[in-house]
Amino acid sequence: MSVLRALTVLPEAAVVLALPPMLMSVIAKTKAWFAGRVGPPWLQPYYDMLKLLRKGTVYSRTTTWVFRAGPIVNLAALLTAATMIPVLSGDVLLGFPGDVVLVAYLFALGRLFTVLAAMDTGSSFEGMGASREVTFGTMSEPALFLSFVVLAVATKSLELSEMVGPPLAIAWKSVGPAMLLVAGALTIVLLAETCRIPVDDPATHLELTMIHEVMVLDHSGPDFAFISYAAALKFMLLGSLLLHVALPHAAGWGAVGVLLRLLELGLLAVVVGAIESTMARLRLNRVPLFLAGASVLSGLATAIVLVRSHG
Amino acid sequence: MSAVLLPILFPLAGMGWALLTCSRPRVSLAGAMGAIAVAGAACVYVALVDHAGEQELLLPLSWPLPLAQACVRVDGLSAWFLLVIGALSVPVAVYSWGYMQAPGERQGVPAYAALLCLLVLALILVVLAADVVLFLVAWELMSLSAFFLVGRDDRRREVRTGAWTYLVATHLGTGLAVLPMFAVLAARSHSTQFSDFGAALASAEPSVAVGVCALAVVGFGTKAGFVPFHVWLPEAHPVAPSPVSALMSGVVIKTGIYGILRTLSWLPALPAGLGVVLLLLAIVTGVFGILHALGQRQLKRLLAYSSIENVGIILLGIAAGVLGRATNQPMLEALGYAGALLHVLNHAVFKGLLFLSAGAVIHATGTGDMERLGGMARTHPWDAAWFLVAAAAICAVPPLNGFLSEFLLFKALLVGSTALTPALSAASAAGIAALAIMGGLALSTFTKAFGTVYLGTPRFDTREAHATPMSMGRGMALLSLACVALGLLAPAIAPNLARAVQVILPDALPASGVVSDATGTLARPAGMFLFVLFIVAALFRFRAACGGRGAAVDRQPTWGCGFAEPTSRMQYSGGSFVDKLALSFRHVVPRRRQVVPPAGYFPNAGRMESATPDRLLTSVFAPLFAGVARACERCRPLQVGRVQMYLLYLVGTLLLVFAAESWYAPYSAEQVAARAASGRQVSTPAHEVRTTEGESNR
Repeated sequence: MSVLRALTVLPEAAVVLALPPMLMSVIAKTKAWFAGRVGPPWLQPYYDMLKLLRKGTVYSRTTTWVFRAGPIVNLAALLTAATMIPVLSGDVLLGFPGDVVLVAYLFALGRLFTVLAAMDTGSSFEGMGASREVTFGTMSEPALFLSFVVLAVATKSLELSEMVGPPLAIAWKSVGPAMLLVAGALTIVLLAETCRIPVDDPATHLELTMIHEVMVLDHSGPDFAFISYAAALKFMLLGSLLLHVALPHAAGWGAVGVLLRLLELGLLAVVVGAIESTMARLRLNRVPLFLAGASVLSGLATAIVLVRSHG
Repeated sequence: MSAVLLPILFPLAGMGWALLTCSRPRVSLAGAMGAIAVAGAACVYVALVDHAGEQELLLPLSWPLPLAQACVRVDGLSAWFLLVIGALSVPVAVYSWGYMQAPGERQGVPAYAALLCLLVLALILVVLAADVVLFLVAWELMSLSAFFLVGRDDRRREVRTGAWTYLVATHLGTGLAVLPMFAVLAARSHSTQFSDFGAALASAEPSVAVGVCALAVVGFGTKAGFVPFHVWLPEAHPVAPSPVSALMSGVVIKTGIYGILRTLSWLPALPAGLGVVLLLLAIVTGVFGILHALGQRQLKRLLAYSSIENVGIILLGIAAGVLGRATNQPMLEALGYAGALLHVLNHAVFKGLLFLSAGAVIHATGTGDMERLGGMARTHPWDAAWFLVAAAAICAVPPLNGFLSEFLLFKALLVGSTALTPALSAASAAGIAALAIMGGLALSTFTKAFGTVYLGTPRFDTREAHATPMSMGRGMALLSLACVALGLLAPAIAPNLARAVQVILPDALPASGVVSDATGTLARPAGMFLFVLFIVAALFRFRAACGGRGAAVDRQPTWGCGFAEPTSRMQYSGGSFVDKLALSFRHVVPRRRQVVPPAGYFPNAGRMESATPDRLLTSVFAPLFAGVARACERCRPLQVGRVQMYLLYLVGTLLLVFAAESWYAPYSAEQVAARAASGRQVSTPAHEVRTTEGESNR
């Protein structure tokens, strides 16, 4: 098993690292289909990143080393989180009991540096985006952690790969409603954390209304490539977390399970693209309610799972 | 001579030196700060090296005090707090050297030096004392020396107010709760030695145990800053000189935590309900603290409120420990206490660093008003780096020390929510949600603080800014190093942490290895820290390699969306940065806002003011103390100025004392003991004798 695992881990890691831009491409194609357009080529996000990596950089005169460290620390935090979140197969590289907390705080580390890099420019627009990012980040935090509580109680484990592993299939049978609520809460967290409609519109061209895009206005060249890749990676990580919770695979599906996960990730991207094509974004002062809704969902799920698992 | 004496002798010597050489301030300061630094290093040595081999070390000091012999003892818990004191006092001593030579601070330097020595001495004695009398003497020395240090700049009104608020609050806590608690303990054990309390309370009824715990939480909680006893903290901490603020927030309030933990170590298992009450108190304290911190405009006030939040986080761990003891869940208990203790150390390091950085900001610009600062990362790049390390650590992000204690606490509460009954699990889950939202709010608060003070363009005149003296920078660098080292090397001090936890746990648990299991979990996240740092380094190399030869690096103004002449006043201010969050929580923490909108076709005047006042202070404590003052005014006619009346008062008081004495005489310890010895009710504990006798008397 361990030899086999060693043989599969490298290809899996390579696929996982290469996949995120493709998911962005799926979303773009879906939106193009809804709008009746052909859309950009499937590999466009890869071309964009390669081009950015070869370009020069423009730094604002106001900025300091914090601005240069921002994209790198953000990407490093997400890459580290990727070693603990199961994406395709149910296994992870470096899990340990309690790693859920580390994953959540690695996301926080990424946010901290993205926000500080934005504030480093001294631009009021980027300050505005940074302010919104910390506000909505704060509000999605309880939803995320209460979801972890539900998963921990349902699976009696504190290790993320086990918390979203095969035991969840049993949990869906015993505490189905709670799992449904958690899946709902995680969907909201996914949309908020990855700055998608209805929380943020990645395609808007008005700085006043943006959240994520306005924070990275001044980044260019390789830095911007890191940022785009990190955003796609974050989408994939939170998306896989959601998929593992919503559609648990039984143990021992092997390669079929991996292929199925790939398909599911693609479908998730299509769904997000469909949401973006058919919905408008919420008014900014409605977003806190939306996020509080996620906390309420996961709080209810916690109540259900606590009563059911002891009763 | 035992090494334990070094941390006591050096501050004493430093104090003597400072007073003897008071005519030469620099000599006085140098000697005293050197003594503190050596004492701090000795504390760390005793805590980590000297103590490592032996479980406990008792040292009777042969100076006779009334009522008791003075005893110092180093056990795991004392050693842990010695580590906390040592870790902070060395950098504070280094920093003070530069700080006290600033033009505004030159007066009364020897007094400052002597008082700082006294404060450090008192702190060390508080955690080393092994009997009530020495503990209370040290406790009082600590309060008084801190009072004089806080009130150093007493020409300013708010300094006087802050210092007096502190003095009143700390004495109310000591007088109304700590003293009665020790009175109960001493009466129960017929001893003033700490070592006798545990046995005396082992079989105490739940009501007595809960009562003692409640008194400890109120009395020591006043020192620690639990809501609603926190009101002195945001008044006193901001007005003190910055090194003193660092010591106050880093260590002095932690002596309250020490007191609570020490008391818990004597108590038998408490009911689970008390654990839930403590958990709720922790949530209220934490959320209240950080929501108020969010709205502050003065940097040091923000930091003071954030200290309240962190005390709440520490209490969360203690509550988890009490819950674990009540429900017989050793893992929950060990993780809770370990998380609380580790957070005590971590918070001392990063909050100390934050206060020292705030001192550097005020030293450089003359103001701590964040809305008048900005862009200091370019004028003071190293100061910015130190502040950023501390801010990241307090936001608990990897790879710094703050994460590890929150990791233990989250893990404790996750264990709690999987292993307890539904109601208690729900309480644990509420703790997790609260800790999560505190984490988010702390991140918002400290991005605001760092962003407004250090990033963007300066809102002050950079030509008048002072450079930070080298010793201040060294002090901050030491603490930054500690933040990083405590993150990466936490497994190395895990055994010390385990020994500290073992002091609080009942005797059966340490043997089972559950404590070392709990503290051993620190190794994995600390290993992941190295992984993060490795990836960061690799990405920096990668970016340096990208772009190739032709890739130019250009510097241009910030993109202003087409606007060509941005000024520093157009930046997003700290107030607007947190406006949305403060708005969302306005029902929890009301804001005061006054807006005069610009009017007319050519508006030229308009103003907006917003503040986050502490409602507990303005609508509970201020009226309460005003009422007390009025009541005291009413008593004034008693003071008539005639000797005859005063004699009458004396006689009346004497009669009252006699009456009380004759009423209580049958219940005094001697009488009870005598009765017990004479064979009546041999097996009945003393307190039951009292109640039955009292009833028969009536």
